[in-house]
Amino acid sequence: MSSAHTKRSPQRSQTLIELGSTALGADERRRIAQGLGREPTRVELHAFDAQWSEHCSYKSSRAQLRRLPVQGERVVLGPGEDAGILSLGEHAGERYCVVVAHESHNHPSQIVPFEGAATGVGGIVRDVLCMGARVVALADALRFGDVRDPESHQRHVARAVVDGISAYGNAIGVPNIAGDVYFHEGFNENALVNVVALGIVKEREIVRSFVPPNGEGWVLLLVGKATDPSGFGGASFSSLTLDAESETANRGAVQVPDPFLKNVLMRATYRVFDALHARGIRAACKDLGAGGVMGCSAELCASGGFGARIDLDLVNTAVPGLPPDVLAVGETQERMLLALPPAVVDDVLRIYNEEFTLPQIAYNARAAVIGTVTRERRYMLTHRGETVMDVDIEFLTKAPFVTPSAASATPCHPERSERSERNRGTDASDSLALYNTCSREPLYRRYDSVVRGCTVIPRGYAEAGVIAPIPGSRLGVALAVAGNPDLSGRDPRLAAEDAVREAVDKVVSVGAEPIGLTDCLNFGNPNKEGHYAEFVAAVDGLAHAARSLNLPFVSGNVSFYNEDSAGNAIPASAIVACIGAIDDVGSITPGRAEQVDAANPLAEIYL
Amino acid sequence: MSRRIAVLLFPGTNSEEETLRVLRDCGGDADFVHWTDAKALLEYAAYVLPGGFAHEDRIRAGAIAAHDAMMETVIAGAVEGKLVLGICNGAQILLEAGLVPGTNVAGRATAAFTHNAPGRHFICRHVYVKLAVEPSRCAITASLPEGALIPAWAAHGDGRLAARDEELEVIESGEHVAFVYAHADGAVDDAAIPNGSALGCAALTNREGNVLAIMPHAERDAWNLNHLARRAGSDVLAPSGGSALFESFVTAVHS
Repeated sequence: MSSAHTKRSPQRSQTLIELGSTALGADERRRIAQGLGREPTRVELHAFDAQWSEHCSYKSSRAQLRRLPVQGERVVLGPGEDAGILSLGEHAGERYCVVVAHESHNHPSQIVPFEGAATGVGGIVRDVLCMGARVVALADALRFGDVRDPESHQRHVARAVVDGISAYGNAIGVPNIAGDVYFHEGFNENALVNVVALGIVKEREIVRSFVPPNGEGWVLLLVGKATDPSGFGGASFSSLTLDAESETANRGAVQVPDPFLKNVLMRATYRVFDALHARGIRAACKDLGAGGVMGCSAELCASGGFGARIDLDLVNTAVPGLPPDVLAVGETQERMLLALPPAVVDDVLRIYNEEFTLPQIAYNARAAVIGTVTRERRYMLTHRGETVMDVDIEFLTKAPFVTPSAASATPCHPERSERSERNRGTDASDSLALYNTCSREPLYRRYDSVVRGCTVIPRGYAEAGVIAPIPGSRLGVALAVAGNPDLSGRDPRLAAEDAVREAVDKVVSVGAEPIGLTDCLNFGNPNKEGHYAEFVAAVDGLAHAARSLNLPFVSGNVSFYNEDSAGNAIPASAIVACIGAIDDVGSITPGRAEQVDAANPLAEIYL
Repeated sequence: MSRRIAVLLFPGTNSEEETLRVLRDCGGDADFVHWTDAKALLEYAAYVLPGGFAHEDRIRAGAIAAHDAMMETVIAGAVEGKLVLGICNGAQILLEAGLVPGTNVAGRATAAFTHNAPGRHFICRHVYVKLAVEPSRCAITASLPEGALIPAWAAHGDGRLAARDEELEVIESGEHVAFVYAHADGAVDDAAIPNGSALGCAALTNREGNVLAIMPHAERDAWNLNHLARRAGSDVLAPSGGSALFESFVTAVHS
C-alpha cells in the first residue's frame, strides 16, 4: 500500500528546487530520486534536506573526525549518540558516570542573539537529559567581534548572547561553572556560541538513543512544547508561503526558547526515568534537534535496526493547519522523543500531563503518542489519512559521504606576524584593560554558578569550575574550555593542539585528573579549499595533542559555514572542553587569592 | 504535634534539591509538596519556599505564585502561627503575598523585592548576611547568636527591597529587617549591598516573627565543600556556614 498511496507532487518539488530552497546539491537530489525510484514528495524532500544536511550527517567531516582518539579506560560511551559518557567513580555501591555534550549555536546567535544563545543552552541540556542523566553543570565558550564601539552591532550581539545564556541557564537551575570569551574582528559578522553541558547518571541507568532489540511495537511518545512553525528552514518556509498562501506563521528559522517549560520538562523527565528504572524498563530517548520529529524518530529507530510509522495528526500543535513538512521537520524547541513498551505508556503520560501539568505550563505542551516502532525498516509518515512519506529508513539516515576537494590546500588565513593592536597596551594598566585581558566578571556574574548547592569552585574563582555532583559523595568533576583565536590565524594546527593543552592545564590546575575531552569545531565553508584545509589541519592538531596526552574525545560537534558576507572564514576555532575527575573534593585547592580572608588562618597566598 | 516541614514545588522552582537536603542534614523531617497536591500542605507544621522562577515570574517576581492554590494554605498557616521560610524567589512570593513585612492584611503586598540596581540585571555574588535584630525577634532565627554572620550567595535579578518612604519607616521602626548585607568581617556599609536594597535589607520578617523572607541562598554555602575558604582537613560533607540558618529553623519547628 505504501508507495501507491504516496501523494506525489513532482511539480512542487521542482518548484522548490528551482527556488533553491533546500541545501541539497543536484547530485544528492538525483541520488534521492534514484533511491526512491520516483520523485520525492514535498515532505520527503524536506526530510532528506534535513537528514542529509551537514548539520545532521557530518557528511564533510566524518572521515576527518575518525582520526580523533575515542577510546580510553574511562570511556563508557564515545561519540555517536547525543552525548558522550565517562566513568567517574563509585559511591554507595553504585558506579556513577559523567555525561557530556558540546555544541555550537553560532548562526542563530548571530541573527537573534538572545534567543539563539538561549536555545543553544536548551539544546545541549536536552542532549544530556535524554541519556538519563541529571543535568549538573554548564559552560560556555564565546567568540565575539570587536566590541570596543558601544554602539556596534558586535557589542549588541555580545550583550544579548550573555543575557540569553544567563536567562536560560539560571531559570532551569543548572550552574554555569566554566567558560571563556575572546574578542577578535574576525568574528564581527559571525560570533561563536559554544555550550557544554554535564550530567550525572548511575551507569546502570544510562538511557540510550536507539530502540533496543525487543523494541518492535514500542510506542513513540513526543514530549514537550506544542509544535509551531518556528525553526523551520528559513528559505524553505518563504517558498512555502509563496505557494501555499499560508499566512499562518512567522518566518524563518528562528527558534523560540522556553526555559520555564524546560525547567518543568527536565524534572518530569527525571521522574519518568526514575519510575521506569524502578520497573526495570530501559526506554530509549532522544532530543529533537535539527530535522525535528522526522530526524529524531528516524535516527532513534534506524539505529536500533527498526522502522517507524508516525501519524503527524497526533503531533500536538500550537496553531492549527500546519503543513505536514513543518510538522515533520520543524525545529520547535523543548521537545524530546521516547520509545516505550506499550504497557508503561499510560503511567508516563500521567506523569508528564497530570503530575507535572505540562499542558498548563505552556500552550498545548504535553506528552502524546505519535507512532510506533516497526519491524519493517521503512520510515512512514501519514497526514490526514494520506501517506506523505514512505522511504527506506537506512537510505534516509545514511547520508552519502562527501569528500571535499583538495584537502591538502593551504589554510586560507595569511600568516600574521604582527600582533593585533587590539591586544597591545601601552603600559601594564592599559594592557589589563584590553578586552582580551580584562576581567570577565561582568559577564559571568550574570550566570548562576551555585544553584544545586553542589558547587565547589564557582565561575571566576579558578581556571576550571568544580562541582561535587552526587550528594553525600566526595567525588568531584572539573570542567574547563579553551581555544585561542589569535593563535589560529598563524597556525590552525598549532591552535588546536594548544586548545587541548590549555583545557587540560586548566583542569589540572584545580587538582583534577583529566579524563576526557570534547571538541566543537567552528570553521568556514567546507566547499572552499582553504577553509576546509584549516579544518583538516585543526583535526591533525587535536588528534596529535589528545594522543600524546592519552585522552579520548567522547563527544563533539562541527559547525561549518562560519564566514562573513565577503566569504572570509572566521579564525579557525577548534574549541576544546576538558572533563576532570576528583576522588575527594576535600583534597583540592579551594578559593582564589581574593577569597582568602581572616576567617581562615591557614590560608596563605602563594606566588 | 507534627514536626514535618513541607518544601513547596511550584512550576519553575529550581533550588528544591539543595533546600531539602540542608533541612534534612540539619535534622528536619522535610519532604517536597508538589503544586498539584496543595491539600497535602495542611498536614505540615512548617513551610519552606525554595528559590527559582515560580510561574515564570510572570508580571513580577512572585506575583503569580502568590496566588497559587498552595499559597492559600501557607497564608492561613502563617496567620495561625506556623513557621514559613522563603528563600530568594520564595522570599519574593512571601512579599507578594503580603506575609512580610505583614504590616497590612495578609494577601496585600506593601513592599517588593524588585530589580537590582544599578544594572537591572541578574547577579551571582558571594555575600554575608548579618542578623540585624535580637535573635528572638524572629522565631526562625531564635537559636542564632546575636549579630550572627551567615555566608550565602546572592543570585537574583530582583532582590532590591523597595517601598514607599512611609512603609520603609514602618519596616525599619518595626524591626522587620531581620538580616542586612555585610562584609566578611561583619562590617556593614553600602559596598556590602549587592543590589541597592533599601535599608541594606537581605531578609524581612513579619510582626509576629514566624515568617522569614530571605533573598540570598544560605543553602548554597551550607556544607564545607561549598566554602571557598574552608579549613584544610575539614569534613567536606559536613554542614556548616549557611546551614546555621536552617539549624535554627529546624530547632524552631521542633520547639
